[in-house]
Amino acid sequence: MSELYLYPRWVRFWHWTNALLFILLMVSGASMHFNGVGWLLNFQVAITVHNTAGILLTIGWIGFIIGNLVSGNGRHYHVQLRGFFKRLITQSIYYGYGIFRNAPHPFHPSSEAKLNTLQQVTYIGVMYLLMPLLVLSGWAFLFSVYLPDTLLGIGSVWIVAMSHLTIAYLLVLFLLVHIYIITTGEKVLTNMRAMLTGWHRDTHQETEG
Amino acid sequence: MRRRVINEGDTQPGVTGPQRLLTIVTTLLLLGGLHAGPASAQDEAPDNKDCLRCHQMATLAYRDPGSGEIVDLSVDPKALSHSAHGELACSDCHNADYEQYPHPDRLKRERLACVGCHEEQDDAQARVYRFETIDEEFQHSIHVTSDAPEAADFSCHSCHDPHAFRNSEVGEDIAQIVRDDNAICLSCHEELKDPYRDPHLWLPKREKHREAVRCLDCHTPLTQSDQPVSHQILAGEDSNRDCVKCHSKAPELLNRLYQYRSETDLANKGWISKAVFNEAYVVGMSRNPVVDRSALAIIGITLLVLGAHGYGRYRAYRRSKEDQA
Repeated sequence: MSELYLYPRWVRFWHWTNALLFILLMVSGASMHFNGVGWLLNFQVAITVHNTAGILLTIGWIGFIIGNLVSGNGRHYHVQLRGFFKRLITQSIYYGYGIFRNAPHPFHPSSEAKLNTLQQVTYIGVMYLLMPLLVLSGWAFLFSVYLPDTLLGIGSVWIVAMSHLTIAYLLVLFLLVHIYIITTGEKVLTNMRAMLTGWHRDTHQETEG
Repeated sequence: MRRRVINEGDTQPGVTGPQRLLTIVTTLLLLGGLHAGPASAQDEAPDNKDCLRCHQMATLAYRDPGSGEIVDLSVDPKALSHSAHGELACSDCHNADYEQYPHPDRLKRERLACVGCHEEQDDAQARVYRFETIDEEFQHSIHVTSDAPEAADFSCHSCHDPHAFRNSEVGEDIAQIVRDDNAICLSCHEELKDPYRDPHLWLPKREKHREAVRCLDCHTPLTQSDQPVSHQILAGEDSNRDCVKCHSKAPELLNRLYQYRSETDLANKGWISKAVFNEAYVVGMSRNPVVDRSALAIIGITLLVLGAHGYGRYRAYRRSKEDQA
């Protein structure tokens, strides 16, 4: 059995803060969006919670980007183009087929590369594309007075609203898949424990990051 | 809020009985006021002091012999000084001969037209919203086109008290603006206060709407976003009854509501507070049935796939355990 220290303290702190903010934003966002449905938050409470959590999420995102630039954690997001599609397909086949045949994990995390290619692509899409768009559209909502009245002939508030909503749905989708995928480690809770302690346990040298 | 006959002169020919008594009381009050030296009138522009000496009295009024209604002649000096006309002398609008007392009878026929005066202003051409436009819109307003006796003689002054009116400004409390604005409508449309006669029974959350939006927001046609609300007041049946005009994508009305509130939030609170306590959000503005349905469907399908995937993994796990056994 080997143990790898894959998740430094700041990454774990950022990850769990982000997770908490995601939940708060989802609940409060749904409460504003579907206002009138009984089990949701009070509208005014939801606005304050959503805006506060949104601001903290922005700070967290900036922190994550800076952390990646200065700490070296960013290297996990550098895509190696050589064999990229092969690795992507191998990983996909594992999740779609091999996993039901108890096939060995095709990827072994190391301190050089803790993310498999599929994870890498997903996280890059989420953290470097969807998150900045979500944050920007959120702030654009708040400061829409500084936007032109219309963009391409459509009311800019509506464009901002639809972008924010669509990205939010995509991130809910990501969260669901993310929560499920982390159970595909060696044991159901292996990966979750790694993000809590920082240490990735690898009994058979066949693990999922 | 309304002083319908405010410009019709102060003389009351043919006044008899109780009206005469009212006039005598008023005159006595006036004389008493002269000796005491009215304190608040001294704060006003010197040009208005003579007029306000009488007209600041809250009780100054007479009963119109024609309609039998009490015609209020009082002017609140404080409201006047804060109004859009606060810097004007009375004689800038009213005939200078009013300085004679008793006021000459012929002045009774004085009619003041807002549009004429305002279009003569130096800045008339530069204004975003011309008084000519206001007049044009007003001519199509239900208040003008209606045959109802209540709407007879409707003028600018029916809603805008020239001695108190001022434009709301970005930064003022929105709830207060809405209250003041709607109070003008409610001062005539009393049926709206009666829950059995209110024509807004169809409207969900009536009280919430009344606190949050002006009557005008639904009862006027949409104007360009850089233009203020139209003066063409619509009849009830022609007004907006479509919830999604505000609570969904229609950009004009939603923009108007949201942007004004955003500007006010920013002016009042600064941007950090604005970011946390945003008052501008309009319920349902992000609603879109296509996005909602497809997203919820995709999320539902994803959950099913993940569930099936998990079940498949569980079967595989059981199989491997059996193989080991």
